[in-house]
Amino acid sequence: MDIKTDVRNFIVDNFMMGMEPGTLADKDSLLNKGIIDSTGVLELVGFLEETFKIQIEDQELVPENLDSVDKIAAYINKKQS
Amino acid sequence: MLVHQFLETNAEAYSYREALVHLEGRINYLDLERSANRLANFLIDCGLRPGDRVGILLDSSINYVISYFAALKAGGVAVALNTATTSRIVKSILSDCSASVLIVHRQYAHFLKDIIDELDSLETVVIDGHYERLERKKSLRAENFFDIQLNGSSERPSVNLAPDDLASIIYTSGTTGNPKGVMLSHRNLQANTDSIVEYLNLSYEDRVMAILPFFYSYGNSLLLTHIRVGGSLVIDSRFAYPNVILELMSRERATGFSGVPSTFAILMHKSRIHDYRWDHLRYITQAGGPMSPALTLKIMEAIPHVKIFVMYGQTEASARLSYLEPEKLLEKIGSIGKAIPGVTLTVRDDKGSICPPGATGEIVARGDNIMRGYWNQPEETKKVLKEDGLHTGDLAKTDNDGYLYIVSRKSDMIKSGAHRISPKEIEEILAEHGDVVESAVIGIPDSILGETIKAVIVLKQGSKTSPRDILKHCRLNLPAFKIPKIVEFRENLPKTSSGKIKKHVLVEEHKE
Repeated sequence: MDIKTDVRNFIVDNFMMGMEPGTLADKDSLLNKGIIDSTGVLELVGFLEETFKIQIEDQELVPENLDSVDKIAAYINKKQS
Repeated sequence: MLVHQFLETNAEAYSYREALVHLEGRINYLDLERSANRLANFLIDCGLRPGDRVGILLDSSINYVISYFAALKAGGVAVALNTATTSRIVKSILSDCSASVLIVHRQYAHFLKDIIDELDSLETVVIDGHYERLERKKSLRAENFFDIQLNGSSERPSVNLAPDDLASIIYTSGTTGNPKGVMLSHRNLQANTDSIVEYLNLSYEDRVMAILPFFYSYGNSLLLTHIRVGGSLVIDSRFAYPNVILELMSRERATGFSGVPSTFAILMHKSRIHDYRWDHLRYITQAGGPMSPALTLKIMEAIPHVKIFVMYGQTEASARLSYLEPEKLLEKIGSIGKAIPGVTLTVRDDKGSICPPGATGEIVARGDNIMRGYWNQPEETKKVLKEDGLHTGDLAKTDNDGYLYIVSRKSDMIKSGAHRISPKEIEEILAEHGDVVESAVIGIPDSILGETIKAVIVLKQGSKTSPRDILKHCRLNLPAFKIPKIVEFRENLPKTSSGKIKKHVLVEEHKE
């Protein structure tokens, strides 16, 4: 499975239960759509670190890296390269 | 003095000083007041009468502040709703207070779609942003926020109000499951605002970083205190990314910061707080539940020159009841301090007698900040507003110097992050699931949130329902912050001989 699918599945499973997965586009802001909050971000970070074997530094906890499926995938790719 | 006169006074005294900073822009006192006047004049034109309720379903923003003050200027009662909500909750609150106006952001207008025909008292909807037409059988006036600002009169409206008239109703989770509307008058809010201004020593030079939502009483008090002194509020609710907030605080040279225990836990463990100098930061305040002494010490270490105010209060007290002076923080660590100016706090036993130091009793509060009661709930009001004052439901003791220490809370409300959550409300939703026989919802310790929600459930015999199915059911019927983090199935629940669920037994299982 590719990064986007993994990330999307995690978000749908953990933050969108009962919501139509199709309502989340890859470019949608997770914060503006009300899908994720401050503890949700911490859960997401835990998932990304474990699944993709990366270390996310405190200074990397910014919306530019984490606020949409597209941004997360680009960030993971950069970290793994 | 009336609450909207805070803004009017400073629109004259500090016309061109910055009142609000937000992603959408900056606004000075003069323009803020004029914008509020335009909306207030529109509301009056729509037939709003003094005392009518005005619902506000907006995130903290410049338009929220305009709406709040416009509602008051028009003589209305501001009823701000939590934006993390469901259609069901919106309907329940707007119906309970029979709101005649709702000001709603386009992002949240969809909550109205299925309920709009059931909101009989609603006559006017103001939409912030573009939204497709709202259809309703009964006529409804729908107007765009921007159009009102473009065409409205900025003359200050004149409405006769008295300090004891109602200014705001803040809905708070009730122990019965139904939210209770805390009625606050102009006098209540002014008394509390002036008291907070006094002990925090706020002035027009203060700039607070406001991450707390204005629809809760803590956020509301940040708003009112800073508008009262002619200070500035830097508004940004994206605390999910703490580094964004820290950067903004640094750039805007914030002098103050307010949070709940989980805010500080995240800042200390998951942010770049140590990378900044914070020479502009004068004070921080903490309320919204007990913070561990270990975390308090960590904050003191990280920003040693900053004054830390530990505070305690309730929505029923407009916000604040006590504070611990920063100078006493080490000596009295774990204490919620003493009563704020203008408030009397006593610790009383079951018979109403004042407890001696060291003995545990209930905190009872008196002062001009104490609410007028719960909207439409005289019986609930009688339970807490008694001859000797507001019965807070919090058990505490004093030391020999008169400092208060919370021992426990009488009610089983869960405090998770900035939220106060009624277990009963969640249990009622769980009971609507066809396979649930009974449930007990409890708060269990969480290192970041303070408490997190756990649901212990007994299912019908032979049921194939999974914890996931339960969570899905919750997701459809509850806002995200009320969804249990942990779901556990059991054969039965511990009960007393009279059949009452012994929740404390379930809670004890999670104590170290």
